[in-house]
Order: sequence, then C-alpha cells, then structure tokens
Amino acid sequence: MVTTDLPNQPTPDVIPSGRTGRPDKGTRVKDSRGYRSFRLVNGALLIVLAALVLYPFVNIVAQAFSSESYITTGQVNLVPRGFNLITFQVVLGDDMFWRNYRNTVEYTVVATAIAMALTTTYAYALSKAHLKGRKFFIGIAVATMFFNGGLIPNYILISHLGFRNTLWAIVLPNAISVFNLLVMKSFFENFPSELEEAASIDGMSTYGVFFKVVLPLSKAVVATMLLFYAVSFWNGWFGAFLYMDDPNLYPVTVYLRNLMAGVSGGTSIQGGGTDNLTQIGANVQAVTMLLTVLPIICLYPFIQRYFVSGVMLGAVKQ
Amino acid sequence: MRSARKRTVAAASVAVLALTLTAACSSNDDATSEPTATESGIPAAQSVGAMKDFAAGTDFVATEPVTFSVLYRDHPNYPLNQDWLFLSQLKDTNKVSFDLTSAPLSDWDAKKSLIISAGDAPELIPVTYPGQETQFVSGGTLLPISDYVQYMPNFQQKVKDWDLQPYIDNLKQADGKYYMLPGLYQSPQPQYSIAIRQDAWEKAGIKEDPKTWDDLKDDLATLKAANPGVWPMSDRWSTTNNNPLGATLQLAAPNFGTVAGWGFGNGLWYDQDSKKFEYAASTDGYKDLVSYFASLVKDGLLDPESVTQDDDTAKAKFGSGQSLAISGNTQEITSYAKTFTDAGNTEAKVHLIRVPEGPAGDNVASGSRVASGFMISAKAAEQPNFLALLQFADWLYYSDSGLEYAKYGVEGTTFTKDGDTRALAADVDWNGVNPTGTKKLNADFGFSNGVWMLANGSSDELIQGLNTPATNDFVTAMADKEELPLTPSAPLDEMQQEQITLWQAALNDSVTQNTAAFILGQRPMSEWDAWQTELKGLNVDQYVDTFNQALAAK
Repeated sequence: MVTTDLPNQPTPDVIPSGRTGRPDKGTRVKDSRGYRSFRLVNGALLIVLAALVLYPFVNIVAQAFSSESYITTGQVNLVPRGFNLITFQVVLGDDMFWRNYRNTVEYTVVATAIAMALTTTYAYALSKAHLKGRKFFIGIAVATMFFNGGLIPNYILISHLGFRNTLWAIVLPNAISVFNLLVMKSFFENFPSELEEAASIDGMSTYGVFFKVVLPLSKAVVATMLLFYAVSFWNGWFGAFLYMDDPNLYPVTVYLRNLMAGVSGGTSIQGGGTDNLTQIGANVQAVTMLLTVLPIICLYPFIQRYFVSGVMLGAVKQ
Repeated sequence: MRSARKRTVAAASVAVLALTLTAACSSNDDATSEPTATESGIPAAQSVGAMKDFAAGTDFVATEPVTFSVLYRDHPNYPLNQDWLFLSQLKDTNKVSFDLTSAPLSDWDAKKSLIISAGDAPELIPVTYPGQETQFVSGGTLLPISDYVQYMPNFQQKVKDWDLQPYIDNLKQADGKYYMLPGLYQSPQPQYSIAIRQDAWEKAGIKEDPKTWDDLKDDLATLKAANPGVWPMSDRWSTTNNNPLGATLQLAAPNFGTVAGWGFGNGLWYDQDSKKFEYAASTDGYKDLVSYFASLVKDGLLDPESVTQDDDTAKAKFGSGQSLAISGNTQEITSYAKTFTDAGNTEAKVHLIRVPEGPAGDNVASGSRVASGFMISAKAAEQPNFLALLQFADWLYYSDSGLEYAKYGVEGTTFTKDGDTRALAADVDWNGVNPTGTKKLNADFGFSNGVWMLANGSSDELIQGLNTPATNDFVTAMADKEELPLTPSAPLDEMQQEQITLWQAALNDSVTQNTAAFILGQRPMSEWDAWQTELKGLNVDQYVDTFNQALAAK
C-alpha cells in the first residue's frame, strides 16, 4: 500500500491565483543578478527623473497657496509658506471668471465633438485604397499643413462669413488637425479588413461597419485623439481673442491671460490697483496655471484606460 | 452593396461641396473710397449731432443723441462694466453713447493692428503711442487728422499754451500730414529712476542722493565695503523686450548724450551742431555710458546677473536684502515698500533717487511731453456723426472740463473740489491714495480709465491731485533737469521704410548683444572699435544716410 504523506506536503505561502498573470512566487524563475542590479539602477534613475519633472509642478502648486512675502524673497520650494487663498478668492469670486469658464467648457465640448466627427470620418474614407481621387483629398489636407492664408486674410474670411462673436469662429477653423488626421488614417489602414468584410457579408451598410465595428475597436486611437483635441481647444485663446469682441464671450484662458498682463504691467500708472495687488501679482501666474490644468488632470485618468493596447489581439484568427 | 440610391446621394453631396467652394469666391466689392482730405468744410450730412458754436471751454453736448464706435482696451484691474457712472453720465448729460469693440490688454497692440489692417476698425481707436500709427498710413485706413484739427479748438489751445507745436510737427508723415493725436503733458512727468534702500545708505554714512553718476559709483563702493556679501545693486527690466538693463540705460542715456536701452528706438542721435543724424551706438556718449556700467560690474558693484535675470528674481534679491539698489518707477516703489512691510521689516525705507547728472549734463530725454493718444479711422469721415466725433474727442481729451471729468469724475459724487484743490470723495479710492475708500474710482465708476483719459490728466494741476506724495517729490526733484532739444522726425516713404526695416533688425540685435557683452566684461572695451567696424558691415552707414536724406528732403 502506498500512502502519500498528504499532511506533510509543504503548504504554499501564496495562494496560486490567475489574477496577477504572473507565475506565483514559489515557481517563478529567479532573476539573474545582472538583471536585478539593472532593475535597481533603472528604478533609481527613473525616480530621479520623475522628481525632476514633478518638482516645477509641485513648486507652482506651492506658490499658488503661498503668501507674497515668501514668494518675492524666493523662499517657496515644495511646501506652501504663509498659506493663504487670497488670489484664489479674487479670481474665483469674479463672476466673469465663471462665465468665461462656462464658455471654455462649451467651446471645448462642441469643438471636440465636431473635430472628432470630421476627423474620424475623413480618415476612414481616406484609408480606403479604392476611394476615387484619394490622392487629391490627401493632397488638400496636407497642403494646409504647409500653406496658410495668413492672419489678416483669415480674419477677413471669418469676419465676412459672419462668425465673429459666435462659437463657430473658434470651432470651425481648427476643426481638423491634419496631423491627427494622418495618424488616424494610417491606423484605419492597418485595421484588419477581414472584420469589415465579415460584417458587410452579414449585410451591414458602410455606416454600420464604421460605427459598429471599426470605431468600437479603435478605442485606443479615438481616445488619444480626443485627448489631443480636447487639450488644444481647452488651452486655446488665440482664436477667441481674435474673433470675440465682447468680454462675456471670452474663454477662461483669455481672461487669465489678461489678468496676468494687468498685474505684471507694473508700469501702468493708470492701472489704479486692486486690493492685494502685490499678493495677486506674486502668484497669479501659479494660480492661473493650476486652474487651467486641474480639469485636464481630472479627466486624464478616465481616458487612460482606453490607451491599453492589445484590445484587438485575438479578434481575428490569422 | 452600393444601391443606386446611395450613389445618387453621394453624387449630390459632392456637388453641394463643390458649390460651397465656389460660393467662397463671391466677388464682394468692398473697396471704399477714401474721403477727399482736401475739403475744408464738413458737409451737413456728416455733421449730425454736432454743436454749432463749439469753442474752447464749452462743454460738448450733442444736439441729438449720438453713438460712436470705439475700440476699447479691457484692463483687468477695471473690467468693462456697462453700468459705469462714466457711461451713464455721458449718455444723460452729453447725449453720447458708445458701441464698444473690446480687446484684452494682454494683446491690445496685436488686435488693434489686425483690426485696422483688415479694414474693420471702429471710428475711435484710443491708447495709441506716437509712432505706432506709421505702419497703417500707407494702407489708407486712418484719417489724416491734421486736415481736421481746425474743428478741435481745445487741442489747438493746449498746443499753443504749452508750446507743443514742434512735438506735433514731429508727427508728420512723408505726405506732410499726421494721423494720430497724442496725449499732452504740461510738464514732463518722469517716472523711472534707481530705487535705493535708504536705511542701508544712511547707515553706511551716505546722507544725500548722488549728484552725478560717478557719485553713485562711489556710494555703491561705500555700501559694498559696509555690507560684504551683499550686492550694492542688482538690476531688473532686462528681460522685457529682450533689452538688457533696458530701463536703467534709458534713464541714464540723456545724461551721457545718447539714447540707449528702451529708449534706443531706431538708434538715431541728432547732432545739434552738424544738424545731422548719427548712429547712437557709435557716439562717444554711448561709449561712455557702456564703459560706466562695465566699470560697475568690474568693481563688483553691479550684479552681473542683472543683465539676464528676470524681474521676479531681481525683486526677490532686493526684497530679501541681498541687494541694496534696483531700478524702479513711481509705482513700483510702492510695491517694493509693501514687500518689506509684509515681511515684517519695519526698518527698510525705499527711496527713488533723482536721476544723477552725467558728462553730457543734467538732462532728461527729449520728447517726454507727448503721451499715448488716439487715432480715427478713415471710414469715420463718412459717418453722419463725424463732426460730432471730432468735437467730442476734442472736449474729452483736451479741454479742462473734459480732462477733469475723465480723471476725477462727477463733483460731489466721486470727488470734492475746494478752490483749486481736488480730493477724492470719502468713499472712493484710487491706487491707495484714499485708503479708507471702499469703492474704486476706476473699477466701480469708470473714471481714470486709460481709454478715456489722456496723459493722466495732462495738466500739472490735475496730475498732482492723484499722485502719491513720493511721486510728487520725485517729479519736483526732477523738474530742474534740462529737457534735451526735440529730435526732428525724418518721415520715410514706403521704399525707404522697407529698407530700414531690413537693416534695423540686424543692427538692433548687434547693439543689444554687444552692449550686454561689453557691460559684463565678456568683451573688453578695447574691442569697441572692432565692434564699430562690425556695425559698418551691417550697413549702419547706409542706414543713417537714409534718414539723413529723408531729413534733408523735408
């Protein structure tokens, strides 16, 4: 009779699970010494780099909450000193700031939606080799990268189209970024045609294929382009400053830019001065940066998961 | 599977697209005929609302309500508010309202330039410095206002009373007309000088302001001996417009007989004896100026980083006691003083010294009696309210009552008057002059607004009323300086203007870089002549000759 000494089997320390995807500790191949020291050095280097990159940002955040006497004497580093919220109160207490913030959100949402719609459809059409006049359409797009009408002709054009003081002056001229277009085009070109063929064989129209097959599987590139467009429209001030004549229509970037100019003027005797002018002067730039960047930082984690590659691997058996 | 229907839809959309492309090429004849500037009378069609007997000293009241379009500069310290007393008072009393096109302060010049070049300019374009109108003259978008000053009696009277005709003549372009009207100053109002830590200076035994620049150098040396480890002077305003030591060189230059820094302009120095232009950077005065500052750096009296550091760093050094002198202006000294009080330093006293005299005398720069003013667009001459616009601008910007209104507001509401002395109303503050005031003269009422008020009030009486005592002291101390004779203008035609623009960029770059290099000691002063030869290689002789030719042709 053979007995297996079950109670004396070594109990594993770690419950083997498929969650981490890595083989459990006990059965893993041990890293070589060289590799371990590489990982150490690599890790240390990356930590140093990350600190260098993060430091200016943390400094700005610290300045935004610091009192002017510490800022003007250069004593603010990583931690706010003389904590106060005066500049925030002045900026956030201004009705115009919120009106302009709403404008920014409005412009960004509409502009990004239109831009995405136009770019994806244009790119998809261009990616089809059997499109008649394909080279011509690509040529039109690329030509605008090299040639530009110039500031004044553009201004006259938009003005005569009646877009001044409307949302369209900001949205339409920059609706398609040719760079993004070309990236999407090459992505769609590399999209496996078997998927589309399979769908159309089952009776789907072109639009159906585009919306129900191609786009859902292109989440990575769509999310990236969405982020690029959203950030560029969010930060954009030039179009608004050119075509808007009423302060109520400015996006918040123009408002903040104007605020910084007024405070750092220094030589403008007719500035008259608001309360706390020196306090605002010391950290208005930091506050401005923080208020502009905050929503994007909040948005980013939600988009990041769409950047995961390999969504499509295994969909088609080659 | 393409159905026939889908194909026709596709074809139709292509056709529509093609159509929209051609629609963009519609021929829209927008050419406007320029008003003939030679007509001496303004026809009745353009005199709607104008006063029949408008003269110097009369308040402007339109005969019927008029509206003017204005390009408005939105300053963040007093954001545009349609409820301002300034606007409502003008509407009720003078029957004037405005159609405002707003542009933010941050990009004012860019938007102004764009809107004028595109031909869309409103009738009145304020906040324009003399010289800024030159680029628009050839485009025909500006009104040659010299043809119409006969309708502006207040302006003419100020020019006559204050002896400003040579200044106005200097604004004439190549066609003999001028296209903007400046703000006028009764006396020069200097603003910039060196700000010192008076307590530190007194502690080192220096009792009074340095009289000459050499005295200043000695004072800085005394300070250095008394305060080792601290910079006697660390300067700022080197990063504005990429002009190292821009403010300091500008304020020192007249005392050395040249122009420099922010005041360099097109680099011309007018020799009163030979009656010709020279290149400022080639004059002996410029060499003396640069040698002076180079010697300051060499002796360790001026922080070499002054030439490259940004304003915040320089102010931080002054504020933390790491330097004892910095350039400043009448407004900045208030902010310097506040830095010290905020840090709890009650000992520090900040004082703006009288600009010292130099080898060329005790001078202030010429041309300091005109300030930013306004332009009128050419299209305004076709509007029914044209004459009314001229009369209104004349009253608001040049008459005593108009200037008082624009700066101080309404008597009884925003200010009180006792004989000739004006004071802000108890409740009203401007720039800290009346600390108990809760409302702001500009932000809450719309007065003292750079768009409607020229030259801070123009007359000595109006200006002094709202100055801080320190500013008034400074202006009084500087009042006995001699104003250098006015440099004649040499208006260029289009061809000359283009040629000059090409040369000027390279020349200005060389001057800026080499001035900094000589001051820092990177280039020894012995190489000065070598640099002059380099300038010759950059066409400096042809550059100056072009101006001299234009001058002779005047």
